[in-house]
Amino acid sequence: MKTQQLDIGTVLLRFRAIIALLLLVVIFAALSPEFLTSSNLTILIKHVAINAILAVGMTFVILTAGIDLSVGSIAGVTGIIAGLLIHQGIILEPLGIIVFLDAWVVVVISLIAAVLFGALNGLLIAKFRVPPFVATLGTLYVARGAALLLSNGATFPNLEGKAALGNQGFQIIGGSSLLGLPMPIWIMALVALIAWVVADKTPFGRRVYAVGSNERAAKLAGVKVGAVQMKVYLISGFCAGIVGLIIASQLGAAHPATGETFELNAIAAVVLGGASLMGGRGHIVGTLIGAMVIGVLANGLVLLGVSEFWQMVIKGAVIVGAVMVDQASSGRNE
Amino acid sequence: MTTINRRSLLLAATTVPALSLAACGRDTGGAATNLIAIITPSHDNPFFKAEADAAAARASLLGYEVLSNSHDDDAYKQSQLIDVAVSRKAKAIILDNAGADATVASVRKAKDAGVPTFLIDREMNATGVAVSQIVADNFQGATLGADEFAQLMGEAGNYVELVGKESDSNAAIRSQAYDDVLSQYPDLVRVARQSANWSQTEAFQLTETLLQANGDLKGVICGNDTMAMGALAALKAAGRNEVIVVGFDGSPDAVSSVRNGELGATVLQPAALIAEMAVEQAHKFITEGETGLPEKQAVPCELVTAENAGQFGIFARIK
Repeated sequence: MKTQQLDIGTVLLRFRAIIALLLLVVIFAALSPEFLTSSNLTILIKHVAINAILAVGMTFVILTAGIDLSVGSIAGVTGIIAGLLIHQGIILEPLGIIVFLDAWVVVVISLIAAVLFGALNGLLIAKFRVPPFVATLGTLYVARGAALLLSNGATFPNLEGKAALGNQGFQIIGGSSLLGLPMPIWIMALVALIAWVVADKTPFGRRVYAVGSNERAAKLAGVKVGAVQMKVYLISGFCAGIVGLIIASQLGAAHPATGETFELNAIAAVVLGGASLMGGRGHIVGTLIGAMVIGVLANGLVLLGVSEFWQMVIKGAVIVGAVMVDQASSGRNE
Repeated sequence: MTTINRRSLLLAATTVPALSLAACGRDTGGAATNLIAIITPSHDNPFFKAEADAAAARASLLGYEVLSNSHDDDAYKQSQLIDVAVSRKAKAIILDNAGADATVASVRKAKDAGVPTFLIDREMNATGVAVSQIVADNFQGATLGADEFAQLMGEAGNYVELVGKESDSNAAIRSQAYDDVLSQYPDLVRVARQSANWSQTEAFQLTETLLQANGDLKGVICGNDTMAMGALAALKAAGRNEVIVVGFDGSPDAVSSVRNGELGATVLQPAALIAEMAVEQAHKFITEGETGLPEKQAVPCELVTAENAGQFGIFARIK
C-alpha cells in the first residue's frame, strides 16, 4: 500500500508543471469561449511543436549539465540552406547549369548541416573542453552569420517549388495534415517518443543521466564522457534542424533571422519541466509539459487580447514561479 | 649594458611607426581622405541593405571611398563606429541611427571633430546637430496603406492589426495612422491588436491563433511586410485566401506578392532614394559648405497595388 501511494506521489511531484498547466487551462477555458475548441487546441499544439522539439533536444544537453544556446541560430541556418537549395538551386558555374534537387534530398542535406553545427558544439565541448555556455554562444553567432551570408540578408520566397523543376513537396513538412492533425504535431510526437525511449530505456540514456549527475563518477565507472557529450549536442542540433525546416515549410519562405531567442523558450520549457540546470535531473515528459505551459500562455493571452508587454511579464512570472514551487517541494523531499 | 641596448632598441622600434604615422597625417592633412562612412542597422533586413548599398553606390559614383558598417541597433556599437569614422577623418557620415535619444551625443561628438552627419530613415531628438535628417513620411505612407485597406475591405468588416516592435517609434506612428483612418469607418471593426515584433514567424502563429477567436475575419493590416507575409502564409494554410492583407515597407518579396494578387497592397518606403539624397547633400556640403535645404526632410512613400507593382524594384521605382 505504501509503495503504491509513493508512486502516485512521485509521479505528481515528478511532473509538477502539470499543475501549472491544468491551472492555466482552467483559467483560459473560463475566460475565453474559443480556448477549448478542438480547432484552437490543434493550432495551439502545432505552435507548441516548434518549441517542444527544440526543448526535447535541449533536455539531453541539460541532463549532462550542459546548455545549447545555438539552437535558434541552427534552426535559422537550416531553413536558409533549404530555402537556398529550393529557390536558387546549386549553381555550377563552370558547367553553366543550375541543379535543382528533389525536396527530400534538400531536407536530408539541410539536416546534415544542422547536425554538423551540433558536431561543432560537441567537438568544442568534448574535445577542446570549452565550457558549453561559451562554445554554443560562439556557434549561435557563427550559425546566424552563416545564414545571413548564404541569403545575403534577404528572404528566400516561394518554397512550394515548381513542377517544371521537379522540386515540389517541401511544404509537406510544416503545411500538410495527416488524419486531421497538422504534420508538425506528428513530427513532435515522433521526436518525443524516440527521445523518451532513448532517455529512459537505453544504456545511452542511462549514461546521459550518469554524466550529468556526477561526471567524475561516470568516468570512473567507465562511461566515455566525451562521446556522450558529443552525442547530446548532435541530437540537439538535429532537433534544431527539424524546427528550421518546419518553419520554412510553414511560411513557404526562409528568413535569416528565423529562430532568434528560440533557445530561451526551449531552456524555459526544459526548466519548467522539472529539469535541473546542474544536470542529472529532468525528463522528456516534463519538458513536453513545460513546452505546453509556455504555448498555452501565448495562445490564451492572445485570445484574451492581452498586450504584448503584459504577455512577457506574465510569461516570466510563470516560469520563475513554477520553478520556485519546484525547488521548494524538491527540497522538502530530499 | 645589455638592458640599455635592449631598451634603446625598443625605443627605436616604437618611434619608427610613430614617425610614419605623423608622415601619414601630413600627407592627408591638406587633401585629406576622401572617405564617406555609412552606418546602418543590420543588413539581415533587406531594407537596410538596400539603403546602405544605394548610399555606397552613389558615393562611389561621386568619387568617394566608402566604409559601410552595421550597428545592429546597439547605440554603443554605433558610437564606436562613429569614433572610427572620425579617427579616419571621414568627410561625412551617412547614418540610419540606433535610437532617437541615444544617438545625439555621438553625432555631436562627430560634429565637434569636424565630421558632418546626415541621418536617413530615422530621425533623432535634436536639431542643429546633424546637417540633414531625411526620413520617409511614415504617417503619410501608413495613411495611404490604411486608405487602400479600407477600400479593399469594402469599408466594412472585422479586421486585426499586427503592430511592429512596440518600442520602435515607427511602429507607433504607423499604428496611429492606421487608427486615424480606419476609425472613421463605422463598419470597420478592429477585433484585435497584437504585436508580432516585426517577425514573420510570430505573425504566422498570431494570425493562426487570432483566426480561432475571429472566424469572420476579413482583413489583416500589418506594420511591415515581414509580418504581412507571415499573416498571408497562415491565411493560405487555413484556406482563407479571401482575407485581405496589407503591409508596409515595399520589400521585394511583398511587392512580388502584390503583383501575384496575394498581398492586397503595401507601401513602399523609398529607402534607396533617401540614401542617395543623403549622399548628394553630403557631397554638396563638402564641396560648397551647405546643402541649401532644411535639416528635416520627409520624403513621401508610395502605394504599391496590383496595378502598379510592376513599376517597383528594390525599395525604389525602377528607373
